Amino acid sequence: MTYDVYMHFPVLAIMALFVGAFLVTLSGKREVLRNIIAGAAVLIALTLLALLIKPVMVDGEIITYWMGNWEPVNGYAIGIALEVDALSLFFGLLVAIAVACSCFYSFQYIRQDDARGGYFTLYLMLAGGVMGIVLSGDLFNIYVMLEVMTFAAVGLTAFRTWNPNAREAAFKYLVVGSIGSSCVLLGTALVYAQCHTLNLAQISALIPGRMNPTMVLAFALLFTGFGCKSFMFPFHPIAADAHGAAPSSVSVLISGVFTKTGVYGIIRVSYFLFRSMGLTSMQTGLVFIGCVSMFVCVTMALNQHDFKRLLAFHSISQIGYILTSLGLCTALGIAGGLYHAINHTLFKGLLFLTAGAVLYATGTTYLEKLGGLARKMPQTAALFLIGAFSISGIPPFNGFYSKWMIYQATFEKASETGSIGYALVTVVCVVTSVLTLASFIKVGQSVFFGQMPLEYENVKETPLSMRIPMWIMAALCVFTGVAPNIMINYVIGPATGAVLNFPGYIDAAMGEGYAAATITDTGYLAEPRLLTIGAWNPVNWLLLFVVVLAAVFLVSILGKRDRGEVNCAPDSKHAVFFGGEESQYSHVASGDLFWGFKHNLRGYLGFMSKAHSGVTNDYVLWGVTALAVIILYCFAFM
Amino acid sequence: MNKKWKRDDLIVRSLADNYLPIALVLGFYVILHGNISPGGGFQGGVLAASGVLLLYLGYGFRGIATAINMERMHRLEAVGAIAYVLFAMLGIFAGYNFCRNILWYSGNIGDLWSSGTIALMNYAVGFKVLTGVGFLLLLVIYLLGMGEDEEHDGTIPTMEHEEGGLSK
Amino acid sequence: MMLANYIGAVALVVIGFYAMVMKRDIIKIVVGMGLVDYGLNLMIVSVGFNEGGTAPIYTFGELTSGMYFVDPIPQALTLTSIVIGACVTAMALALCVRLYKEYGTLDAHEIRRLHG
Repeated sequence: MTYDVYMHFPVLAIMALFVGAFLVTLSGKREVLRNIIAGAAVLIALTLLALLIKPVMVDGEIITYWMGNWEPVNGYAIGIALEVDALSLFFGLLVAIAVACSCFYSFQYIRQDDARGGYFTLYLMLAGGVMGIVLSGDLFNIYVMLEVMTFAAVGLTAFRTWNPNAREAAFKYLVVGSIGSSCVLLGTALVYAQCHTLNLAQISALIPGRMNPTMVLAFALLFTGFGCKSFMFPFHPIAADAHGAAPSSVSVLISGVFTKTGVYGIIRVSYFLFRSMGLTSMQTGLVFIGCVSMFVCVTMALNQHDFKRLLAFHSISQIGYILTSLGLCTALGIAGGLYHAINHTLFKGLLFLTAGAVLYATGTTYLEKLGGLARKMPQTAALFLIGAFSISGIPPFNGFYSKWMIYQATFEKASETGSIGYALVTVVCVVTSVLTLASFIKVGQSVFFGQMPLEYENVKETPLSMRIPMWIMAALCVFTGVAPNIMINYVIGPATGAVLNFPGYIDAAMGEGYAAATITDTGYLAEPRLLTIGAWNPVNWLLLFVVVLAAVFLVSILGKRDRGEVNCAPDSKHAVFFGGEESQYSHVASGDLFWGFKHNLRGYLGFMSKAHSGVTNDYVLWGVTALAVIILYCFAFM
Repeated sequence: MNKKWKRDDLIVRSLADNYLPIALVLGFYVILHGNISPGGGFQGGVLAASGVLLLYLGYGFRGIATAINMERMHRLEAVGAIAYVLFAMLGIFAGYNFCRNILWYSGNIGDLWSSGTIALMNYAVGFKVLTGVGFLLLLVIYLLGMGEDEEHDGTIPTMEHEEGGLSK
Repeated sequence: MMLANYIGAVALVVIGFYAMVMKRDIIKIVVGMGLVDYGLNLMIVSVGFNEGGTAPIYTFGELTSGMYFVDPIPQALTLTSIVIGACVTAMALALCVRLYKEYGTLDAHEIRRLHG
């Protein structure tokens, strides 16, 4: 396969998704035809991107594609470019895998909804818009695809007519999301006013010679705009609303794919366009925002009573991990952040799909009403456990590896710079991990274990066509955890190298030697060598875990003879109050676990709960305040 | 809001009759001259779709829904979009990149037919916007006039053709 | 210098954000979103202005090398942005219609079932 053949593959991948969306509209009510077209479109996109792994990631080429063959003239870019390097292909593969699994899941899942005609159109347009952002090399093209993606996501959030909260969630999502889009547009206009070009490669060559206060304002606006799309700290309440109201297969896309475009935008703006990550103030700012996101969202999640809202808050706290790790500006930090990005898509997608399976079987996601479903849905419970162990960072699943890299990166940064702040960041990361595990124990106990209410006696296991995508995602979770060397060598390593290799990016677009002739300072941001991670082999951890489990089991069996018998009332929860009558249902559910912990923190939790008031104006006020604070911070420190 | 819109106003109806051709011709003029004057696909499409709005002002929703088939407008929108992608793919089939102009000998700059593939893509965009905005207007008008007790079940409303047509 | 244009664009954006933050009626919030979009469109068009330039439309006989016209790229960006603004307004108003049917009120302080 020569370069002339596979250079068309990125455009064909994007266009396959869009044409699939239009063809699905033509098919109308014929469901089998619609399913075939949608499945074919996502599989074509996945195949085309998978075929690009060998040239781009292994051999290190950068594909530059000018639309309409408008090549640069006299060193000036006049056409719209698509530029695919290892970082873009990494995010593109992430998107393609999540879209494919969720699409096959949703064939069966949306049978319960009415108005099914528009679902796949909006779904494929969301996928096409996201693919357009990560593969594009032109700043305004990114803005247009960002808007396409936002409309499709809002439309899919408001999709369910039997959910009374869906339209309110969609309205808030649209209003607060439009703040982010407006910031990106204004930043683009200001960048164009200075550089008179919209090509990402040429802008990153021209900007360092032309920094003035307008460019600082443009940087603050672009950063806030992409941060709004990735749901960083003050923009997070809408994420909780939107995830809770959308169908589960769409929640997979919003949490796993949509937020990653915000992270991708922040990487492109900070590492490529403005190259501002080398400044200490910028690193401090991004790490601070990441830590606050992490901690606030994980404590808010302790208070939730709805399964999907809780998962949404955990999703944003994991994005906080990724932003913290990217803000460190070391090669290990960037690698940890990117690895956590793909892990987050996989395990959070799996968790949302299990939540959807529970909703499909029982009709509710309210934690107080559910219980004991593991007896009737054992495979779903096993998949949920795999996802819960992954997100808490337990070996041998994939969360352990990426979280270990993040801890190591923050700790090494603390020892390198000698400041106590980064050691505190490590402590916050570990505490958040512990609270995540606590929260998932609560959810597991409430939903899957314990006693089952009488009304759920007839639930069945999830249908096979919904279970297969979940098993595929679980297998990928286990695979990326057990074989991290393959991931580092083939996927994460080239992507991290691409983040630090901006002269190569510029040269690929504008011709050889352009970068060296135009850039005045060639200082690198971080050492482009990847350190070894340490001697923690995950398979050894699995063996250790099995040995400890066997020892505990052995000890408990041996000690059973000596345990004394205690006569207690058959129901220890209510017997004291009801005079010894037997109650039928005594399930320890979500509100009762961690009661003491929540009681001690009731001042803080009450304040946060009142602050997330649900009024649209408040959320817009937070967003505008965040914009003002970031602009002032950038002007003060740059 | 009334459930039945009584549209017996003679003045509004006759004005709608007389201004509808002007709106359509202006819209198609702006679409055609997209490469030599301000305008193009989107602007001309919206102008031509305002003809739908003029018809609604004159005849009410029942008049519109019997004259225009909403389901077919929804399908034609997708046809317009696929036509746009097809014209853009002509470049790939000819061996160049995406969106490449392959009709080179199209005339001098400033003539009507001088922009090659861009003109074809312009017509596709104009067609798509016309059907899309028209369908959107009709759907919102239908939603507003639906009444309190009916729920929208996600299907596109179609009505049978009545006898006598529009000029009652 | 197009100073009046830039000040006007920033004023429109600020008034739009004020309407989105302070007004309780959701239709007025949608009007605020529209004002922000129009202010940004004015800013983009004003970026491309060259003093004394003509419109960038010419026929074959008029094209010489000494022609001086305004930048056509921001005009293309503004057209796209106007289309996107129209779509945002359409979608927001459709959601307002459905919200009114569901909640019976247009007050943003009443539409808050999702909180905490």
